[in-house]
Amino acid sequence: MLALRGIEKSYPLAGGSLPVLKGIDLNIVQGEMVAIMGSSGSGKSTLLNVLGLLDGFDSGGYDLDGVDMAGLSEKQAARYRSQFLGFVFQSFNLISFKTALENVALPLFYQKVPRRERQKRAMEMLGKMGMDDRADHLPSELSGGQKQRVAIARALITSPRVILADEPTGALDSTTSSEVMEVLREVNASGITVIIVTHEADIAAQCDRTIRLHDGVIIEDGKSGEVVEPTARGARSQD
Amino acid sequence: MFNRETWIEIAHTVTANPLRTALTGLSVGLGIFILVVMQGLGFGLQNGVEQDFGDEARNTVWVRTGRTTLPYRGRQPNRYVQMRNEDEQRITEQVVDAPAWSGRRMMWGSTVGYKNEQGNYPIVGVEPDFDELELLPLKGGRWLHADDLAKESKVCVVGENLLDELFKQDEAIGAFITLRGITFRVVGHFSKNGRWGNSMVYVPLTTMQRVFNGSDEVDQMVLSTGDLDLEGSQAMVEAVDGDLRMRHSVHPDDVRAVRVRDNQEEYAMFERVFTGIRLFIWVIGGFTLLAGAIGVANIMAIVVKERTVEIGVRKALGATSGSILSLIVIEAIALTLISGALGLIAGVATLNAVAPYAEHDYFADPEVNLRVTVTALAVLVVAGAISGFVPALRAVRIRPIEALRYE
Repeated sequence: MLALRGIEKSYPLAGGSLPVLKGIDLNIVQGEMVAIMGSSGSGKSTLLNVLGLLDGFDSGGYDLDGVDMAGLSEKQAARYRSQFLGFVFQSFNLISFKTALENVALPLFYQKVPRRERQKRAMEMLGKMGMDDRADHLPSELSGGQKQRVAIARALITSPRVILADEPTGALDSTTSSEVMEVLREVNASGITVIIVTHEADIAAQCDRTIRLHDGVIIEDGKSGEVVEPTARGARSQD
Repeated sequence: MFNRETWIEIAHTVTANPLRTALTGLSVGLGIFILVVMQGLGFGLQNGVEQDFGDEARNTVWVRTGRTTLPYRGRQPNRYVQMRNEDEQRITEQVVDAPAWSGRRMMWGSTVGYKNEQGNYPIVGVEPDFDELELLPLKGGRWLHADDLAKESKVCVVGENLLDELFKQDEAIGAFITLRGITFRVVGHFSKNGRWGNSMVYVPLTTMQRVFNGSDEVDQMVLSTGDLDLEGSQAMVEAVDGDLRMRHSVHPDDVRAVRVRDNQEEYAMFERVFTGIRLFIWVIGGFTLLAGAIGVANIMAIVVKERTVEIGVRKALGATSGSILSLIVIEAIALTLISGALGLIAGVATLNAVAPYAEHDYFADPEVNLRVTVTALAVLVVAGAISGFVPALRAVRIRPIEALRYE
């Protein structure tokens, strides 16, 4: 589903460049639930940018659903994002002046789905998240968990093949966190690939597979239960 | 790009922060409003002065005399300098080469009667060229002929006020009226734009001299300068002035006894004043516009900064940079266009409301210069578009994940 081959990326700095990704090889198959872990500065956000087609890369190859993503134009990238990918963010990033329903319907706007159809599908999706009674509420009138449910509904509305979640539980308490993880696991159970960037070991533990990133390279990759504990220790010793 | 969905989006974002929207709109609307009103008032001032000039052709020189104020060549001051037919004859034949001229003599408050009606009107004695020197649009009949002057005919041409006040429904042309008790035949009537010019009764100068004074006195003289430029007309003024002073022993520095006024020069002076006023209005209008544009730029920069996260979200949800840019630019354009149009409407309404109360000798018909106003509006809209575009371009270039961590 997703295949990265030797991805390298550096950011230009005054008087040189800062390498952030130093050759990432990664294969994620359809239906996997993967956690990407790493301390800040490890390159996990950049990796998420690259995976999410929000940023390009300097060298290497990236196949999404068998299509080479190298050298995409801005427009093509936006189209693939819209077709294949759904995003969930730490701070929910719902648009504050739009109601829950309008937020969920927004991705369909960029797919040029007619308004009536958008509303109908958004309502159904909110229903699946158990949020249909909050459809007309503004984000400020929702709790953190409710906001994240709306955000997940928004990510799912376009029927993406991959959900990219950036610290989806970072702003939630533990009870709500596990609720959200429950939702994400259900999403995954329906066949959608879920990639979660997190620094919380117990979140990673709820995924099938954990990838640990350090200093721009993958230092560990394996089944969640086997990787998390030793890596956490390893990371501490390296820091 | 200009579909209904885009407008719904824009309506959403504009109404999301009504105070900010209102303030932006106010800075633009006020700029246009001030520009419209200032332009209108400046135009009204110019209209007023030009209407005042409308009576007289611009290429004329008016010669007037008065009492001396300085002793000269053994003569005491306070002597009235009276022009006579011989002065006019000498000046037009020997001193200057004017293509048209007329002596003029005026008798204020003369009783004019027609049947049982009567009223007081000024009677003016002139020569045939006079209608070229002072613009008198003839509405019926004819103007005075050279023949009328030669025969000292008792004929007259009347202004339209007499038609309304004396003749009422009667046909004026061919009718007989009494001027100071002497019967004259009406041969023509005219209507002009000036304020009291329409009460005049014009008679041949020779007839006036014969029947009312029995003398050869001329009060004023009007000379056409033809195609002469300002320099040429000035030379003419000096020649006439010098000749009269010499003949009537008037001190060269005596400004009251002999007054020769060049309309062209006077008009040129007014032109300079108006150029100054126009420049002034442009400078103020320009700075007002600049202030409006800066206001829009400032607010758009804040709007875009505030919406950096939202822009990142939209990109992550499949928006292209183009669609975000166009959303913000259209929003800026719509905002400036609507508030500018409101300012324009308010300005025009204000001018229209004020105009009836602002009639004055030097103020008439304040008009809105639509071309200037529309240009100003276009400038503001372009400024709005640019000031939306530049920060928006910066915002869409931020990588979305960074934008999302912006808060």
